[in-house]
Amino acid sequence: MSDRAVAVRALHAARPRSTYVRWSMIGFAALTTWAWWAGDFDVADFLSPRRMANLERFLGEVRPYPLHGRPWDWGVAWHWAATMFTDGVRARAFELPSGAEAMAVTLAISVAAIVLAGIGGALAAFPAARTFATPQPFLPGSDRSKAFQRRAWGALLHGTRGLLVFMRSIPEYVWAYLLIGMLGISAWPAVLALTIHNTGILGKLDAETVENLSPRSLAALRSVGATRRQVAAVGAVPAALSRFLLYFFYRWETCVREATVLGMLGIASLGYALSEARVRDRYDDMLFYVLLGAVLVLIGDLVSAIARGIVRRSA
Amino acid sequence: MTASAAFRLDRVSVTFNGTAAMHEVDLSIAPGEAVAFVGPSGAGKTTFLRLLNATQRPTGGCVRVDGRCLGTLSSKELRALRSRIGFVRQDLALVPNVRVIHNVLAGRLGRMGLLQSLRAMTFPSQAMSMAAHEILERVGIGEKLYERTDTLSGGQQQRVAIARALCQQPTALLADEPVSSVDPARARDTVALLTRISRAEGLTLCMSIHNVELAREFFPRLVGLRGGRVAFDDAPDAIDAAQLADLYRLSAAEMLADGA
Repeated sequence: MSDRAVAVRALHAARPRSTYVRWSMIGFAALTTWAWWAGDFDVADFLSPRRMANLERFLGEVRPYPLHGRPWDWGVAWHWAATMFTDGVRARAFELPSGAEAMAVTLAISVAAIVLAGIGGALAAFPAARTFATPQPFLPGSDRSKAFQRRAWGALLHGTRGLLVFMRSIPEYVWAYLLIGMLGISAWPAVLALTIHNTGILGKLDAETVENLSPRSLAALRSVGATRRQVAAVGAVPAALSRFLLYFFYRWETCVREATVLGMLGIASLGYALSEARVRDRYDDMLFYVLLGAVLVLIGDLVSAIARGIVRRSA
Repeated sequence: MTASAAFRLDRVSVTFNGTAAMHEVDLSIAPGEAVAFVGPSGAGKTTFLRLLNATQRPTGGCVRVDGRCLGTLSSKELRALRSRIGFVRQDLALVPNVRVIHNVLAGRLGRMGLLQSLRAMTFPSQAMSMAAHEILERVGIGEKLYERTDTLSGGQQQRVAIARALCQQPTALLADEPVSSVDPARARDTVALLTRISRAEGLTLCMSIHNVELAREFFPRLVGLRGGRVAFDDAPDAIDAAQLADLYRLSAAEMLADGA
């Protein structure tokens, strides 16, 4: 073996290695194996004849009602969809909301929720940012605070952060479930559930943005005598605004989706129409609402992507 | 000794959105020559280097490498050509969180298939490891072969970037202001290293550099660029203080403009 081969081998043997990476790889493999075994995913059962028959019946039922047992006709299907969109279903025993109305309610819930969450998150970002929740922000050299002051600011920081964690650790669906119990059925539980959860998320993201702002320009404001609030309002908010907006639109996308899902709890969004149609065995109407929801989410994603693109370019 | 590349510019112009970055420049660089490009920010130094490794298309004229006009080459031929031209940038452009060996072997990517490169980036063969070690030894940091790149000092990382360029088995080295953000001692060291290696291996070396003193000391030929034109092109001794002062003289407009 040449000298170089020996040298390279010695270097390889002495290379720095991360035990963390190695153990997490082992842990990952073990966890995957366990999940497959413990979940008892039976492939044979998944494809059983009973399931297949069920699937066939379902596919027959999702065909628009006027076309049951008849050859496919785009004209009839289109007319049915248009009627569903404008009028919904007015049967003797029950009613299904029009697609337009369900869509509008879903959109309204998501917009109301994200506006509230955006404001809440931006406000919470400052007490939750390490750089602001301190006795002498950005001028550590001039700090002559007492221990109890530092503890008070620390308490505010960790208190705010803890509250944000709590808000986002409970899913929207569960918040809505609890709020329906308190407020009864209306759009409010859905709006508040989305607001609470997303304030938790936006508060965290916005706080991180604020913490990552260049401390120099903010220190410069402090050194001309600006107070903490002035620095936040005049320095930090303008600098962080484009990031805030990026996160705002990103969460709005998810709000549109979640507003649909929350309808399943009985709030008059698309989700409600969807579950109501299912309960009445109107699988064709159900599919209509599902697709309408997909369209709404697509539109939301598109609008959000365009808005974020504009914000990013101008930032 | 590897073959070295010859470059020639025939009335080359480059225009970015209507502003001329280079205006009908004629210049030729012989195989194995070492040339320093000096001039104020925005004079066209970076554009010039990018023309030579075919990452910038001229809007007029013709860039020739070894006599072949780049405009006439297919994209495959251009890739082959780029794979033999080493480029060292000021910001190094290394992948920070992988071992040094992978950054060095990345120099070979231009001549590897996908599977080969995946292997080189995970479990490189002994031959490849030894090749990488040999190159690192040439730039003086052989013992860093398996270190994580971002644990190295700035100067060491610069050497990794040079090693990556050498791993390309290049016919020419292009260096874009490699020393503008390091302290004077390290700058001198790096310029010395690049000129020494290029001379030893017979590589053509083109370096853009702000430090005129270093350029005078290490390069037999200085090209002054200003406003996308060649202001002078001569041996350092033939260039006088007035020419240099002229090169860096700022017009009022330039004083307020951002450097590129």
